[in-house]
Amino acid sequence: MEHEYIIAHADKSVLKISGLEVKGLNTKQLEEILAEKLHTFVRVIGVTGDNIEMDVYDIEPEQVRKNEKGLIESIVLTEGITVTELTKLSCSEKIVQVDYDSIPAEPISACAMERWMKRK
Amino acid sequence: MKSVYILPTGDEIKSGIVLDLDAPEIIGQTVRAYPEAEVTRLCPLLDIEDTILNKITEVFEKNPDLIVLIGGSGGGHRFSKTLGKDFTHSALERFLDEYSSHEIYGKNGHMWSKLICGRKGTTTVINVPGPFVEAKAAFEAFLKAYANEKSVDDISLAMAEAVFAQYPAGAAQPL
Repeated sequence: MEHEYIIAHADKSVLKISGLEVKGLNTKQLEEILAEKLHTFVRVIGVTGDNIEMDVYDIEPEQVRKNEKGLIESIVLTEGITVTELTKLSCSEKIVQVDYDSIPAEPISACAMERWMKRK
Repeated sequence: MKSVYILPTGDEIKSGIVLDLDAPEIIGQTVRAYPEAEVTRLCPLLDIEDTILNKITEVFEKNPDLIVLIGGSGGGHRFSKTLGKDFTHSALERFLDEYSSHEIYGKNGHMWSKLICGRKGTTTVINVPGPFVEAKAAFEAFLKAYANEKSVDDISLAMAEAVFAQYPAGAAQPL
């Protein structure tokens, strides 16, 4: 049985929109709206009742941040999202590449990032 | 393929905060490919590994041709406190005696997705990622490989390649 690994060499940042009311979110519609607005791939990775986290690929975080108002306005039409006066947007810096050769094999974990952070 | 069980996972799916778009897509693909299939979508499961494992075990007793788990395929909580708990792959690893897996990692070392395909008795068991485009692509790849009677290694690889293709273009390299 094969147990293989693949590395995706894509730049991404995490876009977080907080201060929302979320119920019955159509993630596909949200991804499509933001992808059209940002001209890049967007993937919803985490949702709670008041915030949404998304991966955005191959884009400068500053480009996202300076367009905060326009992006929030664009998501108003998404099924399952209500924007409030507390709604705000933040975007992390791009992910930092790790040296896979420096990742310890033990302790066994499902996430290489965790092992890399705990390396001696 | 005559009998299929679909197990959506995720606290946010179960509570209705997020619509379950994946299960209807998988049902649609299945009945297009296998018009006589009976497809059952079960109540979404909370992100608790034992809960998921117990449900897989319970469904397996019905001797279906296919069990599909949706969501919980990444590193999730192991990487970020704000992300959901991802347990479908670890539950499957506990359930299956023999399986093939392909893990997709970002260059930051975070496991973005782990696709598993295994067989137990006459039942094939797979998982697909939660994001709609990835679930759709993975299941399309599964159906194509399954119809061609591919091995679990080939099916798992086909699904991983289909999910990988949903990310921006970038060279893949084996670890």
